[in-house]
Amino acid sequence: MNVPLSNNDLVRRAAGGDRAAFAALVGEHYDFMFRTAYKWCGNRADAEDVAQDVCVRLARALGSFDGRSAFTSWLYRVVLNAVRDRQRQGARRAKQADALREVSASDVAPDQESAVAERQLWDAVRQLPEKQRDAMLLVYAEERSHAETAQIMGVKESTVSWYVHEAKKALKDMV
Amino acid sequence: MNDEFLKSLKNIEAPAPSVAARERALDAAMTAFDAVHEGEGETQSEKNARPVQGIGWGERLRSITSDWKRNWTMDIRIPLGATFVAILVVPMGWYFMNQTALTPVDLSLPTPPPIEKAQEAPVAEMEVADARTRQAEQLGAAPQPAPAPVPMRDMAFEQQAVSPALARAPMGSAVYSPYPGGDRFTAFDEGGVKFTANEPVSTFSIDVDTASYAYVRRSLEMGQVPPAEAVRVEELINYFSYDYAAPEAGGDPFTPTIAVHPSPWNANSRLVHIGIKAENFDISEVPPANLVMLIDTSGSMDEPDKLPLLKRAFTLLVNEMGPDDTVSIVTYAGSAGVALEPTSGSEKAKILAALETLQPGGSTAGAQGIEAAYRLAEQAMVEGGTNRVLLATDGDFNVGISDPDGLERVIEAERQKGVFLSVLGFGMGNYNDAVMQSLAQAGNGNAAYIDSYSEARKVLVEELGGTLMTVAKDVKVQVEFNPATVSEYRLIGYETRALAREDFNNDAVDAGDVGAGHSVTAIYEIVPVGAPGSADPLRYGEDAVAVPGDDAEYGFLKIRYKAPGADVSELIEAPIPVAGQYQVMSDLPEDMRFATAVAAFGQKLRGSGYLAGMDWDAIRQLAQSGRGEDETGRRAEFIRLVDIAASLE
Repeated sequence: MNVPLSNNDLVRRAAGGDRAAFAALVGEHYDFMFRTAYKWCGNRADAEDVAQDVCVRLARALGSFDGRSAFTSWLYRVVLNAVRDRQRQGARRAKQADALREVSASDVAPDQESAVAERQLWDAVRQLPEKQRDAMLLVYAEERSHAETAQIMGVKESTVSWYVHEAKKALKDMV
Repeated sequence: MNDEFLKSLKNIEAPAPSVAARERALDAAMTAFDAVHEGEGETQSEKNARPVQGIGWGERLRSITSDWKRNWTMDIRIPLGATFVAILVVPMGWYFMNQTALTPVDLSLPTPPPIEKAQEAPVAEMEVADARTRQAEQLGAAPQPAPAPVPMRDMAFEQQAVSPALARAPMGSAVYSPYPGGDRFTAFDEGGVKFTANEPVSTFSIDVDTASYAYVRRSLEMGQVPPAEAVRVEELINYFSYDYAAPEAGGDPFTPTIAVHPSPWNANSRLVHIGIKAENFDISEVPPANLVMLIDTSGSMDEPDKLPLLKRAFTLLVNEMGPDDTVSIVTYAGSAGVALEPTSGSEKAKILAALETLQPGGSTAGAQGIEAAYRLAEQAMVEGGTNRVLLATDGDFNVGISDPDGLERVIEAERQKGVFLSVLGFGMGNYNDAVMQSLAQAGNGNAAYIDSYSEARKVLVEELGGTLMTVAKDVKVQVEFNPATVSEYRLIGYETRALAREDFNNDAVDAGDVGAGHSVTAIYEIVPVGAPGSADPLRYGEDAVAVPGDDAEYGFLKIRYKAPGADVSELIEAPIPVAGQYQVMSDLPEDMRFATAVAAFGQKLRGSGYLAGMDWDAIRQLAQSGRGEDETGRRAEFIRLVDIAASLE
């Protein structure tokens, strides 16, 4: 593949069975998947697993991408679903033990000279109920608008605003 | 909760993905893609690009279904990679049909359990977490099951079909710990049994750190079983001081004490007890010290058991300083910079006032913390004395050099110049044991965990000589076992200190250091030839029993060390005689009985299979019998920990 193709071209070709296009697409978006997964999971091991999981899912799921939303928005949803599946799986494994421990920041790199307060906030956000957490991270960490967040999450914009409101209320007590 | 603060969420950046993980993921994606698109039209070049996978998709599928129930993993005719993909992807197709990213959101999700402070986690949960880890250890290097998001009850295939070993590569991260609060430890496996016939030589670096004991004590006192990777048996043993024979004045810095005695947990084996004690110095004879306290003042230090305890601990230390000693204080993370220029130990009021003004808080990391510390250390350098940076932290190593390896290199470079580094850990919740250990090792120092005022007194006052004065550095131990007398052996603890056989004579290889008055103990469990061991004798191969040779010795001990200023190592040798061994535990000196009890305790706490034959009560009795005078009360405290551990099991 010598000529760089736009996302949509790549997606269409990959979905149509073009192996090289698929390789290029996955290669191009792997970093995005990993980084997003990392932000949600908070540790490298889980993020790597989730990203790999998404890569495998894409092989089949690309066909269901209808092009109505931006590819990255759609990809967010695939990643978020994979995160959620992984965390539920973790909860099952731990037999109701606090699954959150597994996903709390365990290897925040030492070069992040971030404030402890920020890290606590980050941890607290990860411990919110799933929908609130997703909304908060998309709006504040990924700087998406409420409208975009709504599209990614597949809910109404007003619902996103409500999630954010609820999350802030909860965070006030946690941080 | 204001928006400005929330916007700081975006400041936390994910690290770059690792190349290996990326490649693994892309490979998996392509394999999945090939499985999905098998049989569709493709160009010749695409065919060439596809990895060879043996037989085609249809046949593969058939062979999976027909061989499925019988013996699927053992059937080597199935290309395993393809099998995995088929197992994973076929159900996944179904899964996506029902639950793709595009299906409406399920609002009735179970919410996560309420958040608790890690310290308050109930015991039961800790045990679950602990059991989970042990289970993971048994599974080998792939602690997490396959990532397939397959709803089990609806699947035609059983979950165990996706064997973890096949489903994914082992997790790369060694410092991953599911334990509460983010305390981090490097995981390690218990040292296993070695067969003398195959591997007669055992080599390790000594370890005088005591951090593990203090951490274990704190966990138990809070009613939690510590994670197995936090329990380093040798550090538990070496926490206590043992009265081994002192070396002759003017000779080697220590002489080994060797004893062979029965094993209290296995009637068929013996324990080889190797103890060394370094000569002690009167504190007044210790050359002047130049100490730089490098203190973490990040916001997380704002807890009673962190900065306030640290201040009291260092006050103890300052009170021991003499007029020839100098003290400097540098802070990092939070209020950054030099808090006290090098000051004579006689100006105690000035030093203590500077210490008192330290405040936790602030969010900006104090860059150049470590540079400033080393600059002051070099500025006040005492030739022929002790030059040491004492890094005190709860696990935040943002000292100004972000890359941990880079930090280690700086510490090593300073070590070459004569400035050593010790690390004092405080508090729980952010404790980064792995980094502490490696930094202290790089800096020829020890790592201690300070959880209480009395521990501060032990580390900073009673063992001050050891902290201030290194009597031998790069101390390595090598034992060669005699196949004529020993069929199997096992080193208890020291898993994280193992060295390669050839490292022993290589003076460039760094190892542990011994300070004045330190005692170090290593215990081997051996199975004498003829006694039932862990493995059956070989029917065909050459067996250990058949090796002829001298049967007067169990083995031969060699210790290498360097004098504090030297670059060339010295050698101490001693045989481990078969004759003269203790036949019953009660004949053993009290110290050795106690050390053996600590060894048993540590292994049992780790869930070691070797300790199945010894219960907590027997450990307690052995410790009690070896308690001795116990002036400091530490052995009594240990016995109390045994009781707590027994009640938590």
